[in-house]
Amino acid sequence: MKNKILLPLIAAAAAALFTGCATDAHYVQTGDKEQIVSLNQINIQDYANAANDAVKDLLQSGALDKVANPPALLELSRIVNNTSQQVDTDLLTKKISIALLQSGKAQTKTVDRKAVGYQQENEFMNDQKTTRLPDFTLSGKIIETVDRAGSTRRTTYSFQLSLNDPKAGVQVWEGEKEIGKQGTRNTVGF
Amino acid sequence: MKTAKLFFLALAGSALALAGCTTVNSVENAQKEGQRNMVSDQRVITDPSLNRKVAIVGVNTAMLPTGLLKVQVELENHTRSLQRFLYHFEWFDANGMQVNNIISASVPEQIEGKESKMIFSIAPNPSCKDFRVKFIEAN
Repeated sequence: MKNKILLPLIAAAAAALFTGCATDAHYVQTGDKEQIVSLNQINIQDYANAANDAVKDLLQSGALDKVANPPALLELSRIVNNTSQQVDTDLLTKKISIALLQSGKAQTKTVDRKAVGYQQENEFMNDQKTTRLPDFTLSGKIIETVDRAGSTRRTTYSFQLSLNDPKAGVQVWEGEKEIGKQGTRNTVGF
Repeated sequence: MKTAKLFFLALAGSALALAGCTTVNSVENAQKEGQRNMVSDQRVITDPSLNRKVAIVGVNTAMLPTGLLKVQVELENHTRSLQRFLYHFEWFDANGMQVNNIISASVPEQIEGKESKMIFSIAPNPSCKDFRVKFIEAN
């Protein structure tokens, strides 16, 4: 009799416990509280956070406002990948260029071959040079540092960015964001 | 014998309870040179648990020379242990319409026990006049 009461209770408790562990496919938002935190790779939210910090710092510095003809013209230069993984640096630079365009503080030089071709054709037909040299170039480096203590691993990704003035040959702004992750295994949630 | 067992159990229990409790001591200049432009804020608390742990002390704003609004929120951890949360800034234009922008990422943040911490954001463009900050407790 006692077992008859206990069994359904245990079953109900187990069901309630495991309901929260369901892993059915569902849409998620980047950076939500269920984000996967990987110890051995840069997660999508890491790029977003690094770009977020860089844009905040860059807009606050006012470096982009010091141009003769605003908005500043920016050319994306090389981002060196010094990590152990293959990285598409557009995940970082595209977010920055979109945010700067949205701010109205900078425009990015096009890399679209067709657009460049039309511009060159236009220059040739009108016999005038309209190509504007960039006011700034954006370059950077992503560095990975790994430390271990027993089974605990700490991985730090440093996103270093520089805004360069090609006319003066100087760096007018520099920013660095470090994203550190520590644990023994990848996890869901932060 | 029983008392000794109980004592060690209590000791082990309190050691476990105190593990991870790290609070912060701080010092700052008493006579402040800078004046914070505090703004009156309107709060909607749906997670009292998070609000009890990490409380919003105040909000101040500044208009940057570049024409962008900067918002700073002071937070205080009322507990003695580290707290983790996500925050997210939303921006609105003069018509109250939300300004869609790519940099308003949800930012993971942590605050040590009894620590006071500032978080800030810069408006994504000069048309942004109002803001809202959302906080979500970590799992």
